[in-house]
Amino acid sequence: MIPLLVLWTGLGQRQANATSLVAIIPIAIAAVPIYYFRQGAPDVDVRVAIFLIIGSMVGAYLGARVLKRIPERQLRIGVAVLMILVGIKQVLVP
Amino acid sequence: MTLADVLAVAGGLVAGLLSGAIGIGGGLVFVPILTVGFRVAQTVAQGTSLAAIVPTALVGGVTHLRQGNASVQAALWVGGGGLVGAIGGAIIAIHLESLLLARVFGVFYIAAALLLLQRALVDPKAHQDSSATPTP
Repeated sequence: MIPLLVLWTGLGQRQANATSLVAIIPIAIAAVPIYYFRQGAPDVDVRVAIFLIIGSMVGAYLGARVLKRIPERQLRIGVAVLMILVGIKQVLVP
Repeated sequence: MTLADVLAVAGGLVAGLLSGAIGIGGGLVFVPILTVGFRVAQTVAQGTSLAAIVPTALVGGVTHLRQGNASVQAALWVGGGGLVGAIGGAIIAIHLESLLLARVFGVFYIAAALLLLQRALVDPKAHQDSSATPTP
């Protein structure tokens, strides 16, 4: 969403980050009930979601504060390579 | 609290750290943690990830709106369009077979990774101020 906002609306990176966070709210709120209230067992594990939230709230705070000094470029490249490996794994042996 | 709960907190911590530090979405980290790490079915991973994103985005998004960081007009357009897309996408996702959905997600994931790589390698502005806010 962020590259799209930067390219199409000409927003700066910081403003695009903030805007995408606002825009995801209606998107996630609309999608969750569809996953939860499907026929059969719900496709939402509420317990796992709660513990993920606890971790990610703390992580986001630390990430924004403590990790400011981390070399972003290298971290991005490392995460992208890891993501490509996970993606290939999901395509080949899901 | 079980071991799985502790691992979920650790997974959330990693997702939060990465989104805070380099601005990649929480969902991009949540879903593979759930499928590869927890061996959860793809549809359940996507539904659970979306549920975990709601409170995070509410807190972060409302804060940004109050501080005037977000473009309200762009958020309305993207959020409105995304809302329609999300309803359609979610209906398709819950009807797709989980293994096929995992493969589709894999292709999307590689594309997202290439975009991230491009931002790191090509765009000089990417290093300046993108670390401020986590995005799902």
